[in-house]
Amino acid sequence: MSAGLTARRVARLGMLGGMGVIYLALVGMVQTFDGVRLVGDQVTLGRVLLILPPLSAAYVLARPRIVAGEAVKPDGRAALVGGAIIGVTGGALVGLSIVVANGLPERFAAQKIFTSVTPALISVVTFDRAIAPGIGMLVVLATVAGAAGAGLAVLGWKIRRPLITGLLVVLLLSMLQNVFRVMIGQLGLDTAWLYSVRLGGLTYIGAILTFAVPAGISAFWANEGITLRQRLSGATREGQRQVRLLAVAAVGLLLAVLPFLLGSFLSAVLGRVGLFLLMGLGLNIVVGYAGLLDLGYVAFFAVGAYAMGVLTAAANSGSSIHVGMGFFEAVPIVVLLAAVTGLLIGAPVLRLRGDYLAIVTLGFGEIARVLVTSDALKSFLGGAQGLIAIPAPSFTIGGLNVDFRDPQPFYYLVLVFCVLAGFVSYRLANSRIGRAWVAMREDEQVSEVMGVSTVRYKLLAFATGAAVGSVSGALFAVQIGSLAPTSFNILISIQALAIIILGGMGSIPGVVVGALVLVGIPGFLTEFETYQLLIYGAVLIGIMLYRPEGLIPNVRRTRELKEEDRLQDAWSKGAPDAEPATISWEEAPG
Amino acid sequence: MSAVLEVRGIAKLFGGLAALSGLDLHVEEGEIVSVIGPNGAGKTTLFNSITGLYAPDEGNILFEGRSIVGLKPSQITKLGISRTFQTVHLFSNMSVLENVMVGQHCRGRAGFVASVLRLPAQRREEQRIRERASHSLGFFGARLSGYRQDQPAFVLSYANRRRLEIARALATEPKLLLLDEPTAGMNPKETQELTDQIWRLRKELGLTVLLIEHDMRVVKGVSDRVVALDYGKKIAEGTYEDVAHNEQVVEAYLGKKAVG
Repeated sequence: MSAGLTARRVARLGMLGGMGVIYLALVGMVQTFDGVRLVGDQVTLGRVLLILPPLSAAYVLARPRIVAGEAVKPDGRAALVGGAIIGVTGGALVGLSIVVANGLPERFAAQKIFTSVTPALISVVTFDRAIAPGIGMLVVLATVAGAAGAGLAVLGWKIRRPLITGLLVVLLLSMLQNVFRVMIGQLGLDTAWLYSVRLGGLTYIGAILTFAVPAGISAFWANEGITLRQRLSGATREGQRQVRLLAVAAVGLLLAVLPFLLGSFLSAVLGRVGLFLLMGLGLNIVVGYAGLLDLGYVAFFAVGAYAMGVLTAAANSGSSIHVGMGFFEAVPIVVLLAAVTGLLIGAPVLRLRGDYLAIVTLGFGEIARVLVTSDALKSFLGGAQGLIAIPAPSFTIGGLNVDFRDPQPFYYLVLVFCVLAGFVSYRLANSRIGRAWVAMREDEQVSEVMGVSTVRYKLLAFATGAAVGSVSGALFAVQIGSLAPTSFNILISIQALAIIILGGMGSIPGVVVGALVLVGIPGFLTEFETYQLLIYGAVLIGIMLYRPEGLIPNVRRTRELKEEDRLQDAWSKGAPDAEPATISWEEAPG
Repeated sequence: MSAVLEVRGIAKLFGGLAALSGLDLHVEEGEIVSVIGPNGAGKTTLFNSITGLYAPDEGNILFEGRSIVGLKPSQITKLGISRTFQTVHLFSNMSVLENVMVGQHCRGRAGFVASVLRLPAQRREEQRIRERASHSLGFFGARLSGYRQDQPAFVLSYANRRRLEIARALATEPKLLLLDEPTAGMNPKETQELTDQIWRLRKELGLTVLLIEHDMRVVKGVSDRVVALDYGKKIAEGTYEDVAHNEQVVEAYLGKKAVG
């Protein structure tokens, strides 16, 4: 069969699907996430994980394959059958493992290696039934999932996109039910129709509505969106400006009232998202704009935190230096100090590129960690004990005491700095400086020959990135009130980098989404915390494979590319002299 | 006439190989000079030395009477020397207009504060950069104007990439333009068009041009003077006719063609 529906491939994907399920069960995700009720008490996140691997495997099977340079779509019916067989194979493999795991004698002690294999897990994967009917049900569900996965791939994107949109909205609303339930409740609206109190998760009606409405909108958009978009882009400059202003105002209003809607605990999570967003914005300048891969970004975070700590802490902080400055007086000094550090780290690595730069900066990050822990600087930075007694700024307004360490005021403090950093990034990106950075990223030597002083712009990128990162550190010091040197490890650098890779290098909205997904979701969903690094790894591999430009790549460029065909037609009609285009763009997202 | 560019006895060694050895060359203001020679004769090394990518091991290079040896490429560009590359090196993910705007970079001065606050001076400068970049593209008429300005550079046809490189070099507002095989890979019609344009560079923009070229029709068509290199040395110099009939040149370079 030309489209790759061979028995061999089906069997292999089926096995992969089954092994995926077994893996998720063995690392304990299935059981942990069984507690996350999505719809009613029957659809749990753990159960979704049971059918997701065969579904994905079947989707992969039925995707159009490139054969001799042409995309060949598999035959629809054959693909469905293939998907179902994948489901059966995968389900059977899992069933077999359940039988083996259940039949193992006590003394075999499989639990010593696979600590997650417990009677509780077995009851989760058999849907709280006896072994035989449980496995039967698993196989049936996996088969349906396999056929559904293949079906999704076979259907055109006009049908697939609304379906996936709807499912994602349901997943989002149900996974983040803690957030939305509180928010809707705060607005004084009834949540009982959407979230079931008795069963947990969405109500069935709520689930159907939250699936149908976004799916409908998405379908409408797929059919009518082109005309709407054309009308929007055809609108006058003034009109576009108004639309944009309106959007900014709406987002601004939402951000302003968010802490009141979310309450204290969730605001604290948002504050944490803000800290990482700030770091992401700073790192985005270094990596996204200037193309300098910096793996030691934690150094600037540490400089900011310790500088703020030393400058503002009380006399008994653990440092022999006592300055006792206020937060707002200290911020400019911290930023300046960090910018100088950026120059100091940037200067020796000017000649390095790519991998070599990454390794050297990784070293600088470690040096920062060693320095703050060391006894040599103990009298200044507190050594292994760290610093304590770092005050948070506070003021009293109308008898109301506002302490910026409290989650809600802290959120506003972080928000202000995030907006500021975003503004600076945006303005820099769209200026002579931003162009010089992009040119340098594209081809360092050529940009130098074209008159861009690469030394100067590399140093500027390091200094600016360092300054933004240090603000994040300074705010961190304020939020925690004490600094432990162990907080400044390489994971911080990796997390900041993961945020901009996920969101899209060089894209400010991308950084926002990256921070929300990678810091926000684990923060809102405590079940995720254990698996945070595992999920980071999986997400990064997935992004690198399927969407290396990130979730929200440089928006302007995507828009240009989409508009191109239209403009080209118009141009060639008006100007017969124009050469025909040599490259056409892929029709629609596949 | 005064020499815009004067190369005095430069040598460049790569390991034991002398890419250039004791080369002298001068280019007068308003001249169009072609450098020819077989592959490996040191032509591109000469360009790289003039633009500061290589530091010559010996000798001196004077631009308008001032030594430019030891300056960084960006500083040399700012003084007024610009170039294109033998293998096209565009910023392929930037738009056509942005590519040329990078060329204008060295004629701007807006810094960090001005860019973040969008001070009036910075806005005027940005406007000027945009206009001049457009103007540079306009040198090639409709080829690089209109909707093409907003296309990413990588969608351009091969000939248009070469043109864009020239436009980008023009945007740096040079006095001396170095063209490294500007017609390589172009068809005869495009080659003829570019030959005319090299004339226009001098006539309309008052540029001095030094070019490396393999296509003898182009060399014949544009050159006031031809310099032939072989093994990093100058083996002949003069009008096209002189050089083309020089025995050494025929032997080193055209000879292969004449025999084959």
